[in-house]
Amino acid sequence: MMSCYLLDTLERLHSHLARVYQIVQPLEDVGQSAPPLVSPKGYFFAEQENLFVFDGECFRETLPQPPPFVLFGVQSCDLTAIAYQDQFFARDPYYQARRQQALLVGIDCVTPCEHGFCASVDAGPGVKAGCADLILHARPEGGWMLMVCSDKGGEAIRGMELDQMDDTELRARDRRIDDCIAAFPDDSHLHRGIAAISQGRVPDQQWQQLGIQCLGCSGCTTLCPTCSCYGTRDLSEDQGDIRRQRFWDSCLYESFQREASQHNPSEEAGERVRRFWTHKFGDNFAKTFGRYGCVGCGRCEQTCPGVIGVHSVMRRIADYAPDDDV
Amino acid sequence: MVSQTTTTICPFCGVGCGLNLHTEDDRLISVTPQLDHPVSRGQLCSKGWSSAYGVDLRGRILHPLIRTPRGFRQASWDEALTTIGEALQQVLNEDGPMAVGIISSARATNEDNYAAQKLARAVLKTNNIDHCARICHSPTVAGLKQTLGSGAMTNSAADIFETDLIVVFGADPTENHAILGGHIMRAHLAGTKLIVVDPRRTRLAKLADMHLQLKPGSNIALINALIKTILDNHWQDSEYIEARCEGLVPLAAAVANAYDGVERTTGIDLETIREMARAYSKASRAMIFYGMGITQYVSGTNNVIALSNLALVCGQIGRPGTGINPLRGQNNVQGACDMGCLPNVYPGYQAVADLAARDKFSHAWKTALPEQPGLTSLGMSKAALDGSFRALILFGEDPVITDPDQNQERLALSKLDLLVVAELTMTDTARMADVVLPAASFAEKSGTFTNCERRVQHVRQALPPPGEARGDWQWLAAIARQLGSDQLDWSDSEAVFREMAALTPSYSAMSYPHIDEHCGLQWPCSAETPDGTAVLHSNSFPIGRARLIPVHPTEIDESADAEYPLLLTTNRLHFHYGCGSMTRKSPLLEREIPPGLLFINPADARDLGILHRAPVGVRSRRGYLETCAMVSEDLPPGLVSMPYHFREAPSNQLTNNAQDPVTKMPELKACAVAVEPLPPGRVPRSMDQLNAEQGGIER
Repeated sequence: MMSCYLLDTLERLHSHLARVYQIVQPLEDVGQSAPPLVSPKGYFFAEQENLFVFDGECFRETLPQPPPFVLFGVQSCDLTAIAYQDQFFARDPYYQARRQQALLVGIDCVTPCEHGFCASVDAGPGVKAGCADLILHARPEGGWMLMVCSDKGGEAIRGMELDQMDDTELRARDRRIDDCIAAFPDDSHLHRGIAAISQGRVPDQQWQQLGIQCLGCSGCTTLCPTCSCYGTRDLSEDQGDIRRQRFWDSCLYESFQREASQHNPSEEAGERVRRFWTHKFGDNFAKTFGRYGCVGCGRCEQTCPGVIGVHSVMRRIADYAPDDDV
Repeated sequence: MVSQTTTTICPFCGVGCGLNLHTEDDRLISVTPQLDHPVSRGQLCSKGWSSAYGVDLRGRILHPLIRTPRGFRQASWDEALTTIGEALQQVLNEDGPMAVGIISSARATNEDNYAAQKLARAVLKTNNIDHCARICHSPTVAGLKQTLGSGAMTNSAADIFETDLIVVFGADPTENHAILGGHIMRAHLAGTKLIVVDPRRTRLAKLADMHLQLKPGSNIALINALIKTILDNHWQDSEYIEARCEGLVPLAAAVANAYDGVERTTGIDLETIREMARAYSKASRAMIFYGMGITQYVSGTNNVIALSNLALVCGQIGRPGTGINPLRGQNNVQGACDMGCLPNVYPGYQAVADLAARDKFSHAWKTALPEQPGLTSLGMSKAALDGSFRALILFGEDPVITDPDQNQERLALSKLDLLVVAELTMTDTARMADVVLPAASFAEKSGTFTNCERRVQHVRQALPPPGEARGDWQWLAAIARQLGSDQLDWSDSEAVFREMAALTPSYSAMSYPHIDEHCGLQWPCSAETPDGTAVLHSNSFPIGRARLIPVHPTEIDESADAEYPLLLTTNRLHFHYGCGSMTRKSPLLEREIPPGLLFINPADARDLGILHRAPVGVRSRRGYLETCAMVSEDLPPGLVSMPYHFREAPSNQLTNNAQDPVTKMPELKACAVAVEPLPPGRVPRSMDQLNAEQGGIER
């Protein structure tokens, strides 16, 4: 059972945490319903980073050494994505060097956002205990509930002298989250689309048609909080060193899987679009990660110039779902 | 660690998307779209997403460089400016102001462009000022100026969602203006009809209700047949023509025989022409977008006039969701034109030939101004070849890669006594310079860009210029000072803008704070329309009544023949921009496309024994290059296509320099070539290798 405290103002928590942690607040306003334009994945999986430097004789390590920092006010969709990425990068020292330094303070959403559907994919709107160290919940009567869900979280607020709150408050929180879930618009196209994808019922022709609309801009994969593909390159430095850099890649590029022989298993845009959505909603990936790769943030819908973000695609393929699976 | 976010405008195409630049300790670490931007609405194309790579320090020119017999050496600004000043002065003394000129940059800010034309006119005393609009939309400026009185997009990007029919004519917006192309896809999916007219099967053509796959160069034949169909069936908007146009009778007479041979000339059957004519004329609101497939022909200006005729007879100009809308290529090509970086006009298209305009600028700048009309960019090249043009200042442009007939262009530049190039990286043109100046990128300076819907937007500095790099108007001012003039001594970019706005009627009510307040202002923005203008020509045209001007089909200059049996056209790719000097710094975009490619129809490829991705040699009457073949159904048989982004295999090695008589626009969209397979496994030789082997032109 989480312990739950009454917090009068966010500033108080802020200033307490600031004694140990650098504060990073991705949201303009903690408590806004829309997620930030950019997911917080870049705080752990950097958009561009060095993997090592080779000086002709020795390889030098270039592990990042960030100071302890707190991501203050992260919504459930993005926290679910961080938990997903934690699995993917479990043995990645660069990711882990940053991740170990981070304290995650979640914020419950109590109103649906424009493109979001976290409730449909089990990723919100309330923050799940396993995804954050601390959770904030705005009380309609004023002040905040502060829930502690990890030892690290407990350690972080030690000495704050907060009043403990009882189960009634936690039940009221559950009710508000349930009300939020009920307020999301109809999501039957999502359920039908997911069924069509996970059961492989979408014909190639349909993917090809959607593929025409994929410009290969990389916007979806850049903003997607669970996308984790990267490329690498070796850069010559002025002093003769060679620096290996990795950078965010996108599986929607034709060259992503092109081989040195020029053979390409996914040369057609439609095949790449299918692969992207299979990664998000395929059963095999769900088995590996314990959940779907989509956390319902809706960023792809908003940023895709080709109108093949999640809602647009799901509406186009929903009819391929089996009739009994609604 | 100091993290900052700066809101600015994308440096690539004319759509003008909103960008956020995220910096950490003066390093650009990432780029994101602006959610609330009026045009881009939280979206970017692959180039925009990659713009951080485009300006990073790798390969940047950090100091002035001076040519020596052993290559370039680093120099101080003082030395570089002294060298430039002395050389300019010598040419001016010996041959006068017609021997010097400036090629300005459609990538630079309005402030930079205003400074460039002022340096030319008020200090060097020449109207030899031009920029790359010459090879993209000079026919638009010349054509629409004659028919409507204003050579710019008549409507706005947002109108895409307020129209019933979109006609995309000779343009490939999902590649070149991706966010607008995306808007067109979105509108089409929501029910707006879409007609694409293009020799290539573009992405939009694949999605469109109709695709008219006309033969290259047959635009006027098709448009005249459309107009004839409309008039024959009385589908025109007679009320509109009566009230707002003149010249219907001669136009009707000129198109009377437009069906003669039209199916053969255009490759489009009359039934399809009739169907398009009906759709366009009957639509309550129809919007035309067009691009280089209209302008880059010897008939470029007439092509624009023909499209304007079509829109006018149907009354499709002057309301939301209608209009004739050129898609401008560069982030600020509209602005560079507006600023008067053209040999015949001052800022705001005030004619050099008009005595009152000349007096106005002469009075404002307190100096006598040259009367003699200036040379175009290609005119300067031609004059360089005969020795009458000797000194050129050029920035933010790479004509060796992007102008037609590369070998002639190189030869012309090599003849100059002085070539000054200001650039971010060592382009092929910079390599030919006598003095290279380090320029600041869009992220390192402030100013304004004007996008293709005439929206003037604020560009904000996120980073200090690297090394000794300077903003363009600042080094232009330093050259002016070197020549003893304080004409360009402004305190900051805002002061440049203020001076310009006071002299440019369409910008007269604009200021930086006013622009910020409105997320950009669309010109005309004057006392009558202080918050700008979304739709031009609502009540009247700048010339009063619009002119319907009869134009007749002109054949392309060079058709395919026995020796050169295929027709080459040019196209652009979503992943690259211009000469590639910025986009090719992205490891992702560079990986995406091989350095040079030729699109060819499977039937032609089969006849020639060419396999997909196999090496090929391509020859025209002007040059030869090697590249790799992309076998694609998107090209019809007989037509091949190349992008111009790649210095290894530059299409301009092959293209034709035959020009539109009005604007000197070269015919980049059609020339005859021969394609041959190279031995399998052979790596195509780059242009540098071929030049070295054949003893090409070097300085």
